Amino acid sequence: MKSHKRERRGYAKSRGETYVFRLFVVGNESNSTQARGNLARLCEEHLKGRYQIETVDVLKDAATAHKNNVLVTPTLILIKPFPKVTVFGNLSDTRQVLAALRLIGDER
Amino acid sequence: MATPTRRAQHKDGAGLRIRRKEIPKVPTGIAGLDEVLRGGLPAGRMTLLTGGAGSGKSLVGLQCLLHSADAGEPGILVLFEERASAVRQNAWSLGWDLASLERKNRLYLMDARLNPDAVISGDFSIKGLLAILDQQAKAMRARRIMIDAADALLYLYNNPVRERQELHTLHEWLLDRGLTAIMTVKTLPQGEFPSRYVFLDFMADCVIHIDQRVTVQVTTRRLRVIKYRGSGYGRNEYPFLIGENGVNVIPITSNVLQHRPPGPKVSTGQVRLDDVLAGGYRRGTSILIVGTVGAGKTTLACIFCQAACLRGERVLYLNFEESPEAMVSNMLSPGLALQPLIKTGRLVVRSYLPEAMGVEEHLFHALKALDELQPQHVVVDAISACKRMGSEHAAFEYLMRILNACKERGITCIYLNQAAGLDIVSEISGIGVSSIIDTVVLLRLLPIGGVMKRQLIVMKSRGSKHSEQFHEFCITDHGIELVKA
Repeated sequence: MKSHKRERRGYAKSRGETYVFRLFVVGNESNSTQARGNLARLCEEHLKGRYQIETVDVLKDAATAHKNNVLVTPTLILIKPFPKVTVFGNLSDTRQVLAALRLIGDER
Repeated sequence: MATPTRRAQHKDGAGLRIRRKEIPKVPTGIAGLDEVLRGGLPAGRMTLLTGGAGSGKSLVGLQCLLHSADAGEPGILVLFEERASAVRQNAWSLGWDLASLERKNRLYLMDARLNPDAVISGDFSIKGLLAILDQQAKAMRARRIMIDAADALLYLYNNPVRERQELHTLHEWLLDRGLTAIMTVKTLPQGEFPSRYVFLDFMADCVIHIDQRVTVQVTTRRLRVIKYRGSGYGRNEYPFLIGENGVNVIPITSNVLQHRPPGPKVSTGQVRLDDVLAGGYRRGTSILIVGTVGAGKTTLACIFCQAACLRGERVLYLNFEESPEAMVSNMLSPGLALQPLIKTGRLVVRSYLPEAMGVEEHLFHALKALDELQPQHVVVDAISACKRMGSEHAAFEYLMRILNACKERGITCIYLNQAAGLDIVSEISGIGVSSIIDTVVLLRLLPIGGVMKRQLIVMKSRGSKHSEQFHEFCITDHGIELVKA
């Protein structure tokens, strides 16, 4: 397998489980940039100190995208804690993303 | 590989010869479809296959892909709706071994079903898919691609503008990579696109529509090329069939110019009848034997078959009225021993129930038999039963196509028609085929002096003299005998 670019931000501290995310993006196109920013902001606000984000650029690592059946980009996969969650899009709808990740109740 | 650019000669209205170049094409490998497409699909471009659920569009696409893969041009199949394992199984039932092609790196099935539980938040694109395809295409040097059920992906957007943009991206990507592509999209039951996909028609270079319709409880499939940029194509609707070995399209090559001229005389099997017809039927022509129930049509045809087989010729007898066993047994009464002829393979009787299949399937079997057996003569017993293939129109189509196929091959074609009423003269036409029939023999039963007398008259005999009298005849233990006037 080709080497893929992994960025790790934030490390597990105390309190609660660590959230492990894998975010699939395409280079620096606008949806991908937005998704990166939105995810980082959201994690800082709600999961400070207990999250990991692995970013996969599908242009550089199509094999991993393939393995994860990632067809649309950006795709965010919550790997831990179970169950797995998949979110398509630039994550602009924060409330919806938080609800999907079980970080808030689905109030809508 | 694309077929080399061909030059086709073409005469325009003013009779000037124009040389025109045809675009490079990729053969589909589907019998008949290449004929309709004048060589195949446009190389390096996108072909759209549309049709309702169960119409067979995925199968058509898959067969094209496999044909190329077999010929050493690897292809990718992107599945948005079906599981790869299900596709492998379905293909296996048609005798196609996808797994072996996959092992040889000639074919790649990509399971692209989207996670139905995924949450959508904000805009996204199909670049992930394209990146994966790029890598896969490069790795296996793919030349073909089929995108099955592209509509399943598009529904995800739920936004006509974005759908359109994404399809455009996909189309551009296909063109950039020089892949010969087939995309299948479902249509509504009426055969129309959901209006939001109308632009697909404009985008694709070749659009083929397949539909499945039911007429009087008989299902038929039809295929039509709607457009083909840079190429001529057959403009009709063509019957097509999914048989045991895949898809077959039956194009109408009813070009009368390809008909062979009538051959020499051939005996009817009855010496006196030969005299009535000034020597017999002519080889390679069409003969219609019309008559009421019990007038002796089958007997007359079988006498001809027997004589032909004894001369060492081969006859194909398509029977829509009775089984081969019943026919053999019934013909013993007028003293015809057909069983030995069947045993030697000279006489081949194929019995079908007309309503058992659609007209295209009947045609497929008949045309296949013509090619395999290479008979000198064909008998269809009886064309009146052909109406039960669905409609009068279906019967007409069937009979015309058989007739054309026979005339192109120089095969004598005998049609039997059962007239229902007593006024059989007006029923001679036999589903409208009479104008292309060369010889018409009419048989009738007449009550004369308390007994039924059989009479025979030749109504028409193209390119030959014939008696214009009614001739009385009897069916005896040893065939038909004409009573001397």
